[in-house]
Amino acid sequence: MNFVAVQMLIGDRAKYLGLIFAVAFSTFLMSHQSTIFAGIMDRTTSQIKDVQDANIWVMDQKTQYFDEVKALTDDDVYRVRSVPGVEWAVPLFKGLPRAKAFDGNFRVVIMMGVDDASLVGAPRDMVLGSPEDLRKPDSVLVDRVGYEFFFPQQPYVLGKTLELNDRRVTIQGIFNSSAPFQNLPIFYARYSNAMTYVGRERNLLSFVLAKAQPGLSDDELCRRIDAATGLHAATGKQFGWQTIRYYIAHTGIPVNFGITIAIALVVGTIVAGQTFYIFTLENLKQFGALKAIGVTNWRITGMILLQALMVGLIGYSIGIAMTAAFFEITKGNLDLRGFVLFWQIAAGTGAVVLFIVMAASLMSIRRVLVLEPAVVFRG
Amino acid sequence: MIKYGLPLFAALALTFAVVKIVRSQPVHAKLTPPAAPPSAVYTSQVGAVGLAEAESENIAISLPVPGLVTRVDVKAGDHVRKGARLFSLDDRDLQAELALRQSSLALSESRFGKLAMSPRPEDLPPAEAKVRESEQLYQDAAVQLNLIESVRDKRAIRDEDLQRRRLAVKAAEARLDGAKAELALLKAGTWKPDLDVARAEVEEAHRQVERVEADLARLVVTAPIDGEILQCKVHPGEYAQAGPLAQPLILMGATARLNVRADIDEQDAWRVKSGAIATGTVRGNSGERLPLHFVRVEPYVIPKRNLTGDSTERVDTRVLQVIFALDRGARVYAGQQLDVFIDAGGQK
Repeated sequence: MNFVAVQMLIGDRAKYLGLIFAVAFSTFLMSHQSTIFAGIMDRTTSQIKDVQDANIWVMDQKTQYFDEVKALTDDDVYRVRSVPGVEWAVPLFKGLPRAKAFDGNFRVVIMMGVDDASLVGAPRDMVLGSPEDLRKPDSVLVDRVGYEFFFPQQPYVLGKTLELNDRRVTIQGIFNSSAPFQNLPIFYARYSNAMTYVGRERNLLSFVLAKAQPGLSDDELCRRIDAATGLHAATGKQFGWQTIRYYIAHTGIPVNFGITIAIALVVGTIVAGQTFYIFTLENLKQFGALKAIGVTNWRITGMILLQALMVGLIGYSIGIAMTAAFFEITKGNLDLRGFVLFWQIAAGTGAVVLFIVMAASLMSIRRVLVLEPAVVFRG
Repeated sequence: MIKYGLPLFAALALTFAVVKIVRSQPVHAKLTPPAAPPSAVYTSQVGAVGLAEAESENIAISLPVPGLVTRVDVKAGDHVRKGARLFSLDDRDLQAELALRQSSLALSESRFGKLAMSPRPEDLPPAEAKVRESEQLYQDAAVQLNLIESVRDKRAIRDEDLQRRRLAVKAAEARLDGAKAELALLKAGTWKPDLDVARAEVEEAHRQVERVEADLARLVVTAPIDGEILQCKVHPGEYAQAGPLAQPLILMGATARLNVRADIDEQDAWRVKSGAIATGTVRGNSGERLPLHFVRVEPYVIPKRNLTGDSTERVDTRVLQVIFALDRGARVYAGQQLDVFIDAGGQK
């Protein structure tokens, strides 16, 4: 009987292809837009994720998200170190100085200052140089975006100089960064140097990075730091989500993408549903004949669901492959980097597509079930 | 074609998508820091920043008087004994003054000597001769008077002559007394109060010389203790200011053993108890833990000194300073920063 169902489906070539296209493009649109949305949100947490050697971020209690920080006092590093269960704690600076090239090109950059001694937080995905090169005098590491902005169409070489707050700095390393929200260039320097690259402020310590002693959970340590110092401690993941929540709550981005995704969902459901409905109507005679020879309603429902699943699976496969191909192609582009088709999105889209085809088929199943087999022979 | 091709194509597409999705998932591997940060030592501890200093504390050598530096006898790293000459200031004007004072001392000394040695022996014979002369004159007058008095007949002599001769004797007698007194005065030498004045003048001239010598001595700066020259920022030809300076001329201290001055945030100060043991690591070498021995707590909590050291900075934190001693021979330089962990065991 399943063979009959498949034959029935592919027998009507136009509707078969129409159904698959509807599902495929609906899949593509939903997964693509979701990925872009997730990617943009993910970008807001790039600098948090790029710190791969510390789990816990300690910040002022009122800090809402990563890009707006209130400085702590230098002593806070030692206060965090004094909390039982802290394996180590080091300072991290984040500022937004203006970098100038000697040809007059300038740009605001994200300046990260890592602990002088341990270099905790320094980038690891190096194109040229190594994190240890930060120890050289007046050394900065720049990401590829920064390098290509200041030295367009030039090969990657080390030793070029820039100016930061009237100080000359030397590029001692080029690294791959996760794209930040505004895609600003990212510079890394040692903490003591980074402070001189921004204007005078009284306190300059942005974050304290800490690590829990073995056997102590990060959450428990965060609670201890909160209690002991009155500061706010969060794991990198929590801080990332805190930042994402800020952007979701305070920008129009989720509304925009939400509308596009909803339209993709609605249009996909309606087009697929309507086509499937017409397809089923046209095949009512065949279903009537099947009923006449004694095929049960359950069996027919199974046949229709099989047809729906087949359309759904093929459409989904093509659609998701289109999305994967899109992000595969844009992967190499510096400005579009970091957009990744998350498996959660692929799975979620699959579930939604399943819902679409099921809903579409169920709209037409009713007609078949109430069908009198005699209709077929009435002529 | 449609029958098998499309499902096959879909299967390939799905495989492609699955492979790409699996491959492109971001990996956030947990890495270890490029260099190990200083890590916890005690179960309950207080973290602090420490600064290595000389056991004697660092001594910023100052000057009592400003002046031009003419000679520097030490360089950074020298070990000097107490009292060793460090550097000297220009002393030309004081040397000239000293010569002047010394000559006035000599003057007053010779003046005193002259007074002390009087009478001059050569002065005596004329005075004695004068006495003798006066005596003879007296004798002569006496003889003259005698002659006239021995005349029996008073009428033979004029009363006027008699009177004149009597008076002449008295005058000669007085002249003799005068000559004798002068001789006595000469022989008696200088009057004692005069001598005392001259002696006091000599004394005063002495003190003047000593004062200039003391001023000269102040131009030579010497080491106040046995120790090491940590910093020498003074060179011949420079003008050295007196009093405390932002950049000391010479920084020295006893460095046979170093101390670590740990700054503890006032909010954690209560957790540090007197006698606590501690561990320190120098920046960049967190693997080598240096044992620290408690010396003392500075009883006064001071405002935190900021890294920038700007004078317009407002103070928001105060720190308790605790002094620890490093082991003899620890590879730490004076002035080096250490990450200090102080055991706060037993307190919670």
